[in-house]
Order: sequence, then structure tokens, then C-alpha cells
Amino acid sequence: MSTWHTTAHFIAHPPPVDWRDDLARRIGRRPRRVGLWTELAMYGARCCLDAAGEAALPAGARIRVASQRGAWGATHAGLTQLDAGLPMPFTFMQSQPALMLAEVGRCLEWWGDASFALCRDAARTLQLAKLGAARDGLLFGIVEEERHGEPPRTEWWRLVPA
Amino acid sequence: MNDVYLAGMGLACVLGDDMPSVLASLRHGGVPPTPVAVADGISWPVYALASREGDWTQRLCSTVRSVVAQTDKTGDLGPRTAPLFVASSSLDIGFMEYEKQDLRLGGDLQDFAGVVARALDWQGPVFTVSTACTSALNAVLAAADLIRSREADEALVIGVEMDNRFTVAGFGAMQLLAPDSAQPFGAQRKGLVLGEAVAALRLTSQPARWQITGGANVVDGRNPSGTEASAVLAMCRGALTQSGLQPGDIDLIKVQAAGSPVNDAIEVEALKQVFDPLPPLVSLKSAIGHTLGAAGAAELALLVGCIEGGVWPSVDYPLDASLGIALSKEAPQKLRNILLNVVGFGGGHASLVLKDAGP
Repeated sequence: MSTWHTTAHFIAHPPPVDWRDDLARRIGRRPRRVGLWTELAMYGARCCLDAAGEAALPAGARIRVASQRGAWGATHAGLTQLDAGLPMPFTFMQSQPALMLAEVGRCLEWWGDASFALCRDAARTLQLAKLGAARDGLLFGIVEEERHGEPPRTEWWRLVPA
Repeated sequence: MNDVYLAGMGLACVLGDDMPSVLASLRHGGVPPTPVAVADGISWPVYALASREGDWTQRLCSTVRSVVAQTDKTGDLGPRTAPLFVASSSLDIGFMEYEKQDLRLGGDLQDFAGVVARALDWQGPVFTVSTACTSALNAVLAAADLIRSREADEALVIGVEMDNRFTVAGFGAMQLLAPDSAQPFGAQRKGLVLGEAVAALRLTSQPARWQITGGANVVDGRNPSGTEASAVLAMCRGALTQSGLQPGDIDLIKVQAAGSPVNDAIEVEALKQVFDPLPPLVSLKSAIGHTLGAAGAAELALLVGCIEGGVWPSVDYPLDASLGIALSKEAPQKLRNILLNVVGFGGGHASLVLKDAGP
């Protein structure tokens, strides 16, 4: 399975001003208590699937997400809460990539093989994601929060074996 | 397509810094957890690694070097150009706790794997896998994909959970922790007890005694802090299918069983729907705690160590009779195919089938 076809490529870097409203409209609800990074991932994943013309991600597809910085804001806030002796459960949850994967799956009304992995060489991360994937293919995303003047980014590819 | 084998393993956990000391501790009844203070007046028990010299990073590096050295009996890891997978839930958050606030999180999520790779003078590609409790099993599945597809002949998977208050405080805030000890499937179970561990698995395409025949990863976000029965069914069936096995072919299940009042019961009910009758069950978390992102590697290494070393974990508390299960008191006499299950935070469910390919 060495040849792949890109059926959709969605990029928001930065996302439009009304992206949160757009996400709520697309999934029929406003995400609650999920954190900015997860919300960005949900937005990009849903937009990419919509661009591919797929109402739902096939059950046999994989989701793979990479990020250099992850849930930076929630992690920083969680550490500050720890310093103050007041760790908050939702802040901790928002700092975890696993929670992002869960929410992305939930907003696509999908459950299956989802993972968070990264490598300094981003091409290797994508290559790894493709290995062993089923014929339903792959939804691959790179999601970064805003930091040090760099705008937030949510970029996704829907890939299927040719 | 290549087959995937376990060429070597290493483990440091509460029981000891290498497999002989781990098995010796297990034989003598184990090591209790120690309290970790996360805030004024709040502490939780943790199955902690033995203390080492140095700061957080120095302790990480020396532990990793020691554990990886165990994966080869000659101590020679070769050219160190294979893919390296570093699996962790907490990554370097323990290091961040010692940093000044404005210096924290100055780098990125790959920094931790970079430190591990430098500690080993690793020259090959380095991947981070972070999916909470299923991190190490997902790393094994990814490494197996590389070897099966002939993209690599070998890969090294390292599961790492080092000391940090952030994770303990976070799980405490979510009310998931037990105040005393881990009692998987116990009548008085009150939640999970976290553990620290570093475990290394050296995977290869060259035939060895233990073969990884298949596995599956299922994320079900409907209950982010709990076990979903349908996902347990899917992960077990997925792992069996990839391995070309039927439920009756499984001789032992290493259960998730973290000691959660609800999740342990859901896991048992789901397993009963796949396996009728249930094969013997073994639980390892009462011995080493829930080692989160390292759990898949640490529990696989410990289980293989127990089988090869003739030691078996025992529990010193009454099991929940309403579950209708027992934990095996010794290794089953017929032991060909083993299913290892890990379920985690974020709705992650992962299974691996390990086959004794020996004569």
C-alpha cells in the first residue's frame, strides 16, 4: 500500500475569526470544557472531513495527530495551579493529548484507532501513520496553539490508499 | 511481510531496577507505595522508583541507560540506528515542576524523547507517542507496523513515567485515586494507585521465543475517564483477528484492572462477552501500580519476566465475588497465546497478543 491519494487538505493558519461558531454549527453543539488546543483539532478535523465530502469517517480509518507544542496553555495553567496547591481536574484533562483524541473522535461520531505521535522529521510521522493502515485510510492532523506571535494552526489531510 | 519478535526487555519499577531484583521483590511479597504530597495536607500513594543520585534529568538518563542495557545480554546494542519510540503520558512535566514559571514549557513535546535519545547516544529516528495509559502499547503497535512492512528490522520501545506531582495531583483532582493501595478486582477497591516505571522492549524481525502476532487500538471518547464495554470487545476482537486466533486460543489475559470500582466491573463483563469460558486472568497493578504511559511496556516486560523466572504475582486482599472471576495463582500449564489489555484515560483501549513461539 505505497501509493496514497489526498481526498481533502484543510488548512487554517490562522483560523478565521468566527471559527468557534463555525465548529458549533458543523457539529451541532458548542464544545464544553475541552480546551483551546482540542477545540482547534476538532475544528480542523471536521472541516477536513466536510471538504472530503464524507459525513462520517469510516470505522476502519485511522486518526493520527501530531503537534510540537500540544496543549501548551492548559499545561502551563495546570502547573500554575499545582504551584498554588489547587490542581483543577478540567485543566489537567485539557493538558492531555489523549483527551484531544477522544473529543476529535466524538465530534466526528467515530471511534477507532487514534493516536498522537511526533518526530522531528514530520514526514516520518506521516509515513509511520500510513504503515499498516486499512483501506479506509487516514485522517492526519497537525495542530498548534498560538505562541510567541506564531498564529494558531490546524491543518488536516484525508488520505486513502490509491 | 515480516513477523515481529521480542528480542530483549528491561524494567525498572517499584519492585527493583532490573528483572532479577524485580522478581526477588515479587517473590517476597512486593514493595508498598509511598505517599507523595501534591499540596498542603494532600498526598497520594505512589509505587515509586528507587531513589537515584542527581537532578530529575540525570535520574531519567541513568535509569533509561540502565533499563535499555538490560535488553541485550551482551550489553551491546549495536549501531543504535533503529527507530526509537519513547512512550510517556507525563513526558518531562516532572522536570518542569523544578523550573521557574517563566522558563517552563519553553521547548516542545519532542524534547523529552530527545533527552532519552541523547542519553543512549541514539542515531536513528526518534518518535514520541503520548496517548495516556495506552502510550507504550501504541508505540509497540507502531514499531510492529515498521517491522512488518520491512521499513525496519529492529525498533526499540521505551515506556517512561518518572516522578512528578502534576499527574498525581491531576488524577487526585479527578477523584480516580485510592487512598492506600491498588486492589484490582478487589472487594474493597477504591481506585487506582499510580506507579513510576521505565521499561524497554527491543523488537526485531529475527525469530525469538516471544512473538507479537497482533494488536488493536480503539479510542472511544464517549467516556473519557472510563472503560467502554463495546471498545473492550472491539480491541480484543481486533487483536485476535490480526493474530488469526479465536477466543478459545487465548491461554491467559493480562487484564487492565486498575482497581476502579466501576471500570473493573465493566472490563470483566466485556471480557465475558468475548471469552466463554474466561481464560485464566493475571493482574499486575497491585504489584507495580498503574504506570500510565509506561504500563504497556512495563507490564509486558514484567509478565514475560514472571513466566521465564518462575515467579507469579499474588494478591493479599479478597476479590469482589460479584465479578465472578478469579486471578490465576500460578502460570497456566498451557501457555501459548497471551492477550495483554490496557485501558486508559481519554477513552484509549489497546490490546496486544503475545505468542510463545518456542518449541
